[in-house]
Amino acid sequence: MRRWRQPQSPSRNTRLPRRAFLADVGMGFTGLALGEMLLGDGIARGATSAWQPPDGRAHHRPRAKSVIWIFLVGGMSHMESFDPKPALNEFGGQEIGNTPHKDVLTASFVEENLRIVVPDDANGHIRHKLFPLQVAFQKRGQSGLEISDWFPHLGSCADDLAIVRSMWTTDNNHGAQLQFHTGRHVLEGQFPTIGSWVHYGLGSINENLPRFVVLGTPIADCCGGIGAHGANYLGPEHSGVQLGVDPAAPLPFAMPSADVYREEQQAEFTLLNKLNKLAAVEYPEDQDIRARIKSYELAFHMQTAVPDVVDCAQETEDTHKLYGLDQKETEPFGRQCLVARRLVEQGVRFVQIFHGSNGGAGAWDAHGNLKTSHSTLCGQIDRPIAALIQDLKRRGLLDETIVVIGTEFGRTPGTQNSNGRDHHPFGFSVVMAGGGLKGGVAHGATDALGFHAIENRHYVTDVHATVLDLMGLDPRRLEVPGRKRLDIDFGHPIREIMA
Amino acid sequence: MRLAGAILLALLAWAPALCAAESVDYVRDVKPILEQHCIRCHGAIEQESGLRLDHISFMRQGGVRGTALAASSDKSVLIQAVDGSGDVEQMPLEADPLSDEQIATLRAWIDAGAPAPQEPLPADPREHWSFRKPVRPPLPETSPDAWSQHPIDRFLAVEHQRQGLTPMPPAEKNLLLRRVYLDLIGLPPTPEELRAFQADASPDAYEKVVDRLLASPRYGERWGRHWMDVWRYSDWDGYGQEVRESQPHIWRWRDWIVESLNADKPYDRMVAEMLAADEIAPADEEARRATGFLVRNWYKFNRNVWLDNTVEHTSKAFLGITLNCARCHNHMYDPIAQREYYQFRAFFEPHQVRTDRVPGQSDTKHDGLVHAYDADADTPTYLFERGNEAKPDKENPLSPGVPAVLGGDTLRIASVELPPEAYYPGLRAFVQQETLAEAIASADTARKSLATRSEALAAARQKLAALADTASPPAAKSPPAGNGAEAESAEPKADPPKQEATTGKDELQVALRDAERNVELAESETLATAAELVAVRAKIAADAATFATPPAANAEELAREASRAEGVAAVERARHKVLVAENGVERAKAAGGDNAKKNIELAESKLTAARQVRETAQAALAKSDDSYTHFTQVFPSSSTGRRAALARWIASEENPLTARVAVNHIWMRHFGDPLVQSVFDFGRNGQEPTHPELLDWLAVEFMEQGWRMKSLHRLIVTSAAYRMASTARDESNLARDPENRYLWHANARRMEAEVVRDSTLYVAGALDETMGGPELDQNTGQEVARRSLYFRGSKEKKMTFLDTFDRANVTDCYRRSETIVPQQALAMVNSPLSLAQARRLAGTLADQLQTQPTPESETAFIAAAFERVLCRPPSDEERDACLAFLAEQSRMFADPAKLAAFESEEESDVPPAADPHARARENLLHVLLNHNDFLTVR
Repeated sequence: MRRWRQPQSPSRNTRLPRRAFLADVGMGFTGLALGEMLLGDGIARGATSAWQPPDGRAHHRPRAKSVIWIFLVGGMSHMESFDPKPALNEFGGQEIGNTPHKDVLTASFVEENLRIVVPDDANGHIRHKLFPLQVAFQKRGQSGLEISDWFPHLGSCADDLAIVRSMWTTDNNHGAQLQFHTGRHVLEGQFPTIGSWVHYGLGSINENLPRFVVLGTPIADCCGGIGAHGANYLGPEHSGVQLGVDPAAPLPFAMPSADVYREEQQAEFTLLNKLNKLAAVEYPEDQDIRARIKSYELAFHMQTAVPDVVDCAQETEDTHKLYGLDQKETEPFGRQCLVARRLVEQGVRFVQIFHGSNGGAGAWDAHGNLKTSHSTLCGQIDRPIAALIQDLKRRGLLDETIVVIGTEFGRTPGTQNSNGRDHHPFGFSVVMAGGGLKGGVAHGATDALGFHAIENRHYVTDVHATVLDLMGLDPRRLEVPGRKRLDIDFGHPIREIMA
Repeated sequence: MRLAGAILLALLAWAPALCAAESVDYVRDVKPILEQHCIRCHGAIEQESGLRLDHISFMRQGGVRGTALAASSDKSVLIQAVDGSGDVEQMPLEADPLSDEQIATLRAWIDAGAPAPQEPLPADPREHWSFRKPVRPPLPETSPDAWSQHPIDRFLAVEHQRQGLTPMPPAEKNLLLRRVYLDLIGLPPTPEELRAFQADASPDAYEKVVDRLLASPRYGERWGRHWMDVWRYSDWDGYGQEVRESQPHIWRWRDWIVESLNADKPYDRMVAEMLAADEIAPADEEARRATGFLVRNWYKFNRNVWLDNTVEHTSKAFLGITLNCARCHNHMYDPIAQREYYQFRAFFEPHQVRTDRVPGQSDTKHDGLVHAYDADADTPTYLFERGNEAKPDKENPLSPGVPAVLGGDTLRIASVELPPEAYYPGLRAFVQQETLAEAIASADTARKSLATRSEALAAARQKLAALADTASPPAAKSPPAGNGAEAESAEPKADPPKQEATTGKDELQVALRDAERNVELAESETLATAAELVAVRAKIAADAATFATPPAANAEELAREASRAEGVAAVERARHKVLVAENGVERAKAAGGDNAKKNIELAESKLTAARQVRETAQAALAKSDDSYTHFTQVFPSSSTGRRAALARWIASEENPLTARVAVNHIWMRHFGDPLVQSVFDFGRNGQEPTHPELLDWLAVEFMEQGWRMKSLHRLIVTSAAYRMASTARDESNLARDPENRYLWHANARRMEAEVVRDSTLYVAGALDETMGGPELDQNTGQEVARRSLYFRGSKEKKMTFLDTFDRANVTDCYRRSETIVPQQALAMVNSPLSLAQARRLAGTLADQLQTQPTPESETAFIAAAFERVLCRPPSDEERDACLAFLAEQSRMFADPAKLAAFESEEESDVPPAADPHARARENLLHVLLNHNDFLTVR
């Protein structure tokens, strides 16, 4: 009853019998997990029926244990990636209103699926003059999934991919980036993100590493900023921890200044541990001391584990090549994908990789020159993502890892600035692969122009629901008192793509 | 296939429910379904179709369609409604239908005859405890030998006795001192203060400390930060330089909070000023800072979001009610209609945010007083259907009002006439003086420039004359460079340096022409600035007459004069610009070159434009009336008084919630736990107080003491309850109240983020105690030693160190999280901040002890270090461990070649000591800053 507030901190939720506690001190309880140490032993659940934070266990049998969530910042064109629309070539240059598909302009979705933040922005409008496809498509793999020629490598993984071609969102501007992660329109404020829900719901597999890691430059403050990997009311301990891929400075305060010796610091940890344990004997009923001692032990290990896990030098040359680390254009993102694999291999629950951050709306925001910019950007990510899937697969990790490739919205079937496409919240694609998912399937559909998602429509939280379900979580059981969630927040798992 | 599956699932769901028909239990199985899905519209608050489903008797009685139950489920209106089989619309409306399993449960229950135990009728929601004004309960009886005679303790003792709990003995003196220091000022005591307190045997030794701390300016900073949490303080947030949320210069509100607390400004007054200082103290510019509370909600993109936040957090912060739950529909738990949500919004509908000039800065981008004011009294407020801003109910504009259940019928709204300086900032003396001073300076500069240029012209003439006299002229001299008064690009420039001064005459003639032009320009600039100065003076006179109450007799005449003077100044300025443009044309023609044609065209078009401006100015002058441009915008001269009325209603002894909510917040921050757990929800969905009588007694006491927070702090921290030990060593108590709901021991707590950082700096003697001022760059928190509350904090802009220790979430933070995670350990172990302070402090302590490192002096050093950092002496075991550590470390540093340094990119502000012993001591202090007992408030 007392601790109805959100933190998962085990502090003062219950009082352990002194004797049991002293035994723990004697054993040093090394190797035990912090939150789980107290919550997992069943004691912290308490006898009351009052709300308790999650105990870190899955609600049902999980199909996967980790997520790699790739987000393409700015809005990738669905029509030039995963949702081919030959009608655009047929009617290229014509006004939508003059084509047989003019009904898209009057569909109820136009109003229903739109909540405008910036009223008279130059962008975010329906563009009427149809723009032909800027790239060809091929049928790929046994499944014959159609994927554009800008993704030759990823195309070779077609039989592992589940494409959802019927996504929709409601923000016609880049606040949709935040929305893609929280499920709420930016005007409603900031909310916990999908990664933070996973962190909140599931315990750690490897306490030496953060459970929720962010790679790449997060989205800019125009569009949700750090809120897009934040935890909001779940508390900052559930936020994504930003890791750099440089082993010398992977996270804030990861190591002391260069004038400190490792031996000297280790001796400090040892003395601190001794002193804190003496304090623990002095205050046997104080669980916070136990947690603090444990947190220092973990911090000490983290200091080594974090630089270690981002250090790709330990990988073979073949692997480097696979991810494209030998090529200038694929190296930055390839390194992040490789680090992502290393992280999930070591038990990190949720890895969020941002691609295309540019301090503004994002590099994928192709209002003009779509062909040049998209083909370049695809060139940066195609090989690395394909490598990630192949690498996970050959290590037997793909079965327990969910890979998601998302973006905030699609792009308009019509042209903007003669050779670009505008923002398009009415229909776009998301690709998923891995644990518990079918491969070689395309689910849902947009209309002939790629305008509206019309078949098996999915709002962005359906992707969240799918991820949570595969991870063994029921989001309705993660509710926090005083924080009412709406039905739309929960979404519905996309069963059709689940194996 | 899919259909078959669905049927199969349905059957599976049915089967167990049918089998278990007899065992369906109303309380266990049925009531939760009804509560979750039905009673929002069919309960105590609303009774759609006259039907209530929150008690069996109401269900039997039914609504307009008759009983909800019936003998067989097939005939039950309830079942027909939830499975959509009847002629009723399927229920619940606008929500997911019930699952087959839930419907099966309801059916089974009805078919079994709808058995239900005797339950009392649900209480009238309007009678909820917190909606009734608190009445001071009598102090509980107590015996002379009781635990304590303190009023707070007498209330607590009642529950102790009832629950069979024994309160813990008082905390040790040093722990108590540290606790009360950290609690009241957010910094630990110094060793001197500690020793003085321990040596003070007088009975009021503790009370003296409390009074001293409450009088310290550090108190306002400490508690200011608490209230900044509750009142959602946020520095501006946005994209690059674009402000999207809150406002620049809002730090003045923060300073107002700190100053008000230090001055012990009554809480009711603070609340009133935050909501309506511009209406209740319109002449008080300092007070207007308080409306930062409203300014903070400013949101660039959507006025409704802005006002929604204002409504939600005004009601949560001051009233502890979740008015926001009534935005889309009537409140689900509290008797608050959706209409009342929008009526509450109407208080804020006319208000906007503006930034007035402050002395010394004429550009409000750089600094200014940002505050709320009523911009438009006539903006209507509409209810939005289902909260959808696209569907305002324009038929029924709403007037301001507060929820009826809270006694909102007493509200009196009267428009407020503002003093002229409040609605016309240009009337303020400093604005006039600064404007005048600027005009005088410009005129001065122009005059000086004219003098210099005239001399230059005379010199040029002389040279030409000399050339005519003699055959060998001196080299052409450049005309004097512009003096800054002129910024026009067409200003004649110094001639390009000559390769050789040979014949000279042509050059001299060019120079002469330039000098003549310079003088012409300076003359016209002098005329323009002089006219501008006249205009400023005329405006000041006109303003004084016009805005006097009543306006002076000659106001109109002075206004006409000002209008004319402004017209004259505009003409002179325009003439000057024409001259500049003419010069530009002449120069463009003379310059030649590749772009000559284009440049000449450009210059000519500028000239045409300048002439146009001149003609317009002349025409305006000819028609000049009594209107003139004011020094600043003139805002509406009256304010609706809506917010003042709301403020009076909230900050009133008649309001049932305000004092209770405030007392609960204060209590929570002293004890680590509130009396009402749901600090922002005192409604029916919130929690009951653990000690309702104590809460009410404190609320009434608080009001009767004039809403003085310092009195309340003093009352609380002098209770025996506050002074108890935090140890919970009592098996019997633990078994009865393991969560310490009934406060039988003090709660040990982790320091808040700001206290961790500030105390680390403070114990090392490094804390910069400068107060107030513009917010500091959040990225400098490791180097800049100011208190943490002065650093920028918003959604995006936040200090990593503070964030790691659960700084306030600016979106809302009625209560801080208190976590223990490894990142905090990394921050304390590896941050430059803690390393630097440990090294600094080691040096200070060694200086104070003035000893060489011997075993005896190391013991003294360890004792001093413990005292400084932990406020206590080391135990023998601790001392021995530290001695061993010092010895071991000293040995280690004797041979650094064997050691491996971190390959780090971090640099430290304070390098480690070169001497092995000194370095060992630094590390000991570094360990103590990481000690549990440093981070913990016991």
